[in-house]
Amino acid sequence: MKKTQIVLLLVIAIMIGALLVTLEDASVYATFEIADRQKPETVTVVAKVDLASPINFDPKTTLLTFNAIDKDGDSRSVIYNQPKPLDFERSEEITLTGHSTDLNFVATEILMKCPSKYTDDNELNTTGIYSVNI
Amino acid sequence: MDYIGEHSLISFLGRASVALSFAGALATVFFYSLYFFSSSDKKSNNHRGIKSAGRLSFAFHSIGVLGTIAILFTALFNHWFEFDYVWRHSSLEMPMKYIASCFWEGQEGSFLLWTTWHVILGWVLIGTAKKWEFGTLMLLAMVQVFLTSMLLGIYIGDLKIGSSPFILIRELPENIGLPWTELRDYLIRLPSLRNGQGLNPLLQNYWMVIHPPTLFLGFASVTIPFLFALTGILEKKYYEWVIPALPWTFFGISILGTGVLMGGAWAYEALSFGGFWAWDPVENSSLVPWLTLVAAGHLMMIVKHKKSAPASALFLTILSFLLVLYSTFLTRSGILGETSVHAFVDLGLNGQLITFLGFFSIGSIFIYLFHWKNFPKSPSEEAFSSREFWMFIGSMTLLISAAQITFSTSIPVLNKFIGPEGILPILVNPMAPPADAAKHFNSLQIPLALVITSLLAIGPFLRWKETPNALFNRILPSFIISIIISALCIWGLKLYNPLYAALLFVSIFGVFSNADYWIRIVRGRWTTSGMALAHLGFSLVLIGALISNGKKEAISTNATYIHEDFPSNENILLPLNDTVSMYPYYVAWRNERTEGHNRVFDVDFYETEGASTWNDFKRPELKPAFTLNPFIQINARMGNVREPSTKHFWNRDVYTYISYADLRPLNEKNGAWSEPMEAVLESGEEVFLFNEYLLYCDTLNVQNASINQNSGEIEHLDLELDLILKSMNGGETNLTLPYHLDGNKAQTSEIELEEKGLKFRFDGVATAEGKFNITAWEKNNGDPPFVLLQAFIFPYINLLWLGSILMGLGTLLAVWKRVYRAINENKK
Repeated sequence: MKKTQIVLLLVIAIMIGALLVTLEDASVYATFEIADRQKPETVTVVAKVDLASPINFDPKTTLLTFNAIDKDGDSRSVIYNQPKPLDFERSEEITLTGHSTDLNFVATEILMKCPSKYTDDNELNTTGIYSVNI
Repeated sequence: MDYIGEHSLISFLGRASVALSFAGALATVFFYSLYFFSSSDKKSNNHRGIKSAGRLSFAFHSIGVLGTIAILFTALFNHWFEFDYVWRHSSLEMPMKYIASCFWEGQEGSFLLWTTWHVILGWVLIGTAKKWEFGTLMLLAMVQVFLTSMLLGIYIGDLKIGSSPFILIRELPENIGLPWTELRDYLIRLPSLRNGQGLNPLLQNYWMVIHPPTLFLGFASVTIPFLFALTGILEKKYYEWVIPALPWTFFGISILGTGVLMGGAWAYEALSFGGFWAWDPVENSSLVPWLTLVAAGHLMMIVKHKKSAPASALFLTILSFLLVLYSTFLTRSGILGETSVHAFVDLGLNGQLITFLGFFSIGSIFIYLFHWKNFPKSPSEEAFSSREFWMFIGSMTLLISAAQITFSTSIPVLNKFIGPEGILPILVNPMAPPADAAKHFNSLQIPLALVITSLLAIGPFLRWKETPNALFNRILPSFIISIIISALCIWGLKLYNPLYAALLFVSIFGVFSNADYWIRIVRGRWTTSGMALAHLGFSLVLIGALISNGKKEAISTNATYIHEDFPSNENILLPLNDTVSMYPYYVAWRNERTEGHNRVFDVDFYETEGASTWNDFKRPELKPAFTLNPFIQINARMGNVREPSTKHFWNRDVYTYISYADLRPLNEKNGAWSEPMEAVLESGEEVFLFNEYLLYCDTLNVQNASINQNSGEIEHLDLELDLILKSMNGGETNLTLPYHLDGNKAQTSEIELEEKGLKFRFDGVATAEGKFNITAWEKNNGDPPFVLLQAFIFPYINLLWLGSILMGLGTLLAVWKRVYRAINENKK
């Protein structure tokens, strides 16, 4: 066997390894229920901020506490030890990365999807038609 | 119907230009491909005519593309908002300098930009490719057929082909049939058509002017080596293709590399990612073709010097182009929507994008495999000490690096295949990107970088075929110097992570060995300096990235308030005008103001003078050092964005951004008013107020009154109520509240006692009892306004930028070397 062929085999082996590592490192899109079952494993939950319950932010300890409702309609208290994201209340959907504990869901990262991102504002407003006579 | 004021003719001309460019590309493919179908003996007779027809078609294509650009620019420049593209991407308020950014903000414009670079490079090919013209131009025109079809904007049945930048708003599918589209004068009647949406404020930035053209020139120059590789296979010139392809490959490496790093610089300067690289899918997908192109370039050099097996060089050259198409698909199809913050908006062209990617992937892989058995094999095996063997290893390492990044970036694509709603539902829950992206990528990328950098340090000193042992002595001086210097750096920087320390050592070795090579072997001759300079630049980029990231220091650690369940984090609380210690500085938030879209915060940094006197519990003397102005962009489209402000020193950057701020105006934040307290008093009566004051009602003065003679009703009335506010300590304040009545309209005004933080309003006379209604508010002076700030020190990040520039220059020199030789050979 030639040296280059050995190298190519090695390359393929490492690539398969890299693919497996990716699958291993990948987190899963889950619901709060799955997060509870898999605690303390880190998961990604797509949820909505519950605007009906209080959203508390203590700037001194930068602790944000709020309730979030996932796609199944499950609600959890979420704590996030980072500054409250700008426009938090306006967000349409949030992506929480974190894990469940016995008391609540501890988020390490929150990504927000803004409602206006490319949609609302980009709709042409045709309600105000001037009635001019030419 | 003739619409008043509408530029329908321009819209027609625009679409006609797109059609011309599309038809021109098709004709180019047709004529140039005739060459391949003519039998070999006829080739010499026919090819002159074929060439002329092909060039003429490509000229028509070029006129179409240039016409499209000219018309789109005219529409943007004149603010013709009846065009959907103009309305969506520009506005009257926008500074003219951003017109170019509006042009390529949308998918259509950026496709056009890419197409234009292909046209320009296509003419360079026509001028220089000689016998390669038939194959390369035929394939380039095929790419152009796909790219221009993206701008067609026609429907065949329900199938949408392309999205035209010249579509009028009234022609949009969602507007067809609406009553206003039937109005001849709709442009005058619809107020919302007077002004456009404007360029996203986040993109109103000089980077948006220079980054996209650079990146797309990079993408376009990855196409050219691909054209040569495929033509080489089709014409069975398995070795010869590398000669014309090499300068293009280095050109692509230089421009695409610069484009990618420019993206990093943009992120660092203007986004609060907290660094220049965030492993964002969009960043990754432009880095991957660069990695494979670098590998391809090195493999081509092996083919050129050794006439060894061209299979791997061909494969990687083709792969680089396919990865550009894959990157296009990822960023434009909307598939990254959930994982990336800055992918394009989905235009509903996914089918077309997949066809584009599929056509070239299946086509070129088929051609590659079909000719596989004809590819020449290496005459002899590479020696263990040869340059080509280690170059091959290096290229394969780059390929692995590209593969890992591609896997992780493709998680949303994998979900489409094996996710719960995919074609083959293996997974119960869809996969999400790794929770800690940096950790995930570093786990493999750092070891790979170690291999690549060691090779580029030693590689230049290796010889083709076999390296005599004496040559190893040549690298000894730079090896020893590097050991000493990196030991000092590791000790000085306290960089004790073994993997980081090893990478730092090999990178420093890369710098010194290539500098050594440049001085002693190349002796500074510019035409042959490219390799040493590019390798040196790459090593510097790694050193800069490693130190600035590995020793990135959060100086804004919150040491004052710590939550019981969490470690202290990197956000420091700055009350207005309070000077807070943030080692090695003191900081104070002094002011905030609104500038255009931005809320700007003034943060003063102070240095301590002389020795610290903490022992005496005294503040040290403070000396103003610099002021930073992080700001928050109030962006209705993307949500508000935190933008950093950075102080650059030669050896470090102080990088800050506001991580949280109350966005109400400053005077409103300066203590909010309490809930109102209402009192009903008559003259001589008093009431206890806010636990602190007694409010005594003195007299009511009628200033002015007139009564309607006929009805007996009050027409006009001016009242003033005198009150006395008594403090607990005996102080008294007189205060007069006005009240006006005009017919039935009462007018009241709030009188504020600023020094006491109180405000009052006289709401009128409660007629029945002859009592007066008074409302009072107290200012809540609980907490002063504050912001949360994050501050980081990035040490030695300038090495990264310096390295980027050297790498770009070095690869351009490598292009020049080959162009220079080609010119000189022609002269002979």
